Amino acid sequence: MASARILAVDDSPTILAMLEEILVSAGYEVLTAEDGAEALESARNGKPDLILLDVMLPKLDGYRVCRLLKFDQKYKAIPIIMLTAKAEEQSMATGLRTGADQYLTKPVEPERLLEAVADELAKAEG
Amino acid sequence: MSGHEARLEHDLTAEQGERFREYIHEHSGIHLDDGRTDALRISLMTRATRFCHESLDHYYELLVADEAEFRELMNLITINETSFFRFPAQFDALRTFVVPEILDTRSPALGSFRTWSAGCSTGEEPYSIAMTLLDAGIDSLGHHAEVLGTDVSTHALERAKAGIYTPRSLLNVPHEIVTRYFEPTATGHRVTDPVRDVVDFRYQNLIKEPYPSALMGNWDVIFCRNVTIYFRIESTRRVVESLFERLNPGGYLFIGHSETLTGISDRFETVEVGGVFLHRKPTAAVRVSVPERPQSARAVAAAGAPQFPARAVEPGAPASEPSGAAAHLRAAQALADNGDFDAALERVTEAVRIDPALAAARYVLGLIHLRAGRTDDAVAEFGRTVGIDDDFVLAHLNLGNIHRARGEHAHACREYEAALRALERSPDGAWSEFLGGFDPEVLVMTCRRSLDHCSSMRERG
Repeated sequence: MASARILAVDDSPTILAMLEEILVSAGYEVLTAEDGAEALESARNGKPDLILLDVMLPKLDGYRVCRLLKFDQKYKAIPIIMLTAKAEEQSMATGLRTGADQYLTKPVEPERLLEAVADELAKAEG
Repeated sequence: MSGHEARLEHDLTAEQGERFREYIHEHSGIHLDDGRTDALRISLMTRATRFCHESLDHYYELLVADEAEFRELMNLITINETSFFRFPAQFDALRTFVVPEILDTRSPALGSFRTWSAGCSTGEEPYSIAMTLLDAGIDSLGHHAEVLGTDVSTHALERAKAGIYTPRSLLNVPHEIVTRYFEPTATGHRVTDPVRDVVDFRYQNLIKEPYPSALMGNWDVIFCRNVTIYFRIESTRRVVESLFERLNPGGYLFIGHSETLTGISDRFETVEVGGVFLHRKPTAAVRVSVPERPQSARAVAAAGAPQFPARAVEPGAPASEPSGAAAHLRAAQALADNGDFDAALERVTEAVRIDPALAAARYVLGLIHLRAGRTDDAVAEFGRTVGIDDDFVLAHLNLGNIHRARGEHAHACREYEAALRALERSPDGAWSEFLGGFDPEVLVMTCRRSLDHCSSMRERG
């Protein structure tokens, strides 16, 4: 599913540019957003097949963006991979029942990232 | 529920209203009577529309699932709402448990029993606290009560200081309290002098530190109820941490009936009194009356020394030296990570003032400008960054991206080329700490792809 459309969300333009680079090089189409409100807007209007979502975001944090999408019938099927800064954030995210499909700790190796993306897309397909 | 869905985009049915009211009552203790149906309807519509929910039933599901959303909704419904003895069980716990426990262990000579009502709005809460303390017999035990109310609304504070309330706002106050602590005047019921003598008011924004010295510490009880719902979780953590530092050991934090400290702070002990959960600052950490070894920083902090966690300058780093600039820069980055860009801007500006040649500070300043949409200022700061350190790859990259977005492809190409050259020259320069752990090789690929794109655009143009 190399033509899938991925929404990448991070508030650092540099990190976002690199995420985009990794995904585009692997053949994905990429949408980007730099804050939670923009992410929500893009998730609803951009029809992404998967969302890569950073936790620390201005306006609405990643947990809330994730919950708002996962509790919305229209969008809950979109796989969400959360990018957290520390492992402890993952357990907190799980505790908060964000409903994300997968959590990755930053810094993440490009190979690991692409593997997770491919896995989630395959699950969503199947 | 599907029968309502098409229409419910625009209105709240009686059945739905009842369901929301019940849920709100169960989870906040607030009963929304018929007179407040409009407030409920408007708040529901505002939140549901914001998140594009098709129906209020659908929004109800979100509300049940998402505690944060529940708080947002309550925030709207209860804007400026306050009443005397709101959540009476908390005042009962204060009178019957907290006051006796604290007074039990200390002599009147140690000063007043100090209570801070943070976010006191029009004064109902601090006056209720004062009445409760007087009822607990503090005076007769030889202690003096001191209550401070703070708020960010000067308008609310004026009304609080006046201390005159309409009969409607006293509806839930027992008659016996009204006769004891209020006196009728031409404009309403005025709080009597013995209560007013105990209470003081001042302006304070909870998330703006440093706090004035009057708020620094030695509080026995802090009420900060339903205030934190206004803040993002990161700010809430900072506020709660700050309140913890300002409490006496053994002191109590009262938060809202429906609020929790889970995920916010694990430093308090939870105590249940008559169905009310209270949060006590442990005493064990400060039993150091005869210290045999130096106290830990944490113990000193717990003893009431002022600390400003989110804005801490590195210990031992004088603010007037370059190392002070580095500390300000780190604080700015932490604040920016938490989304507090105004405070971050303040700190990084200070860093630049102390050390104008700190390239990383210039770069962060550029990022903050960029985030705020001040692109020209961002260009200027990134320009200064590379003026100080031409190998600051990320400043070149950001300049390239800005020029590219403006359609200035030749300019953009020059910056991407400069970024690639800098990457070759110093692959682990000062800029690399901003890479988020990614391999610089990914950055090389990013710059190359951007350069290719801009080159082809330039040729076409």
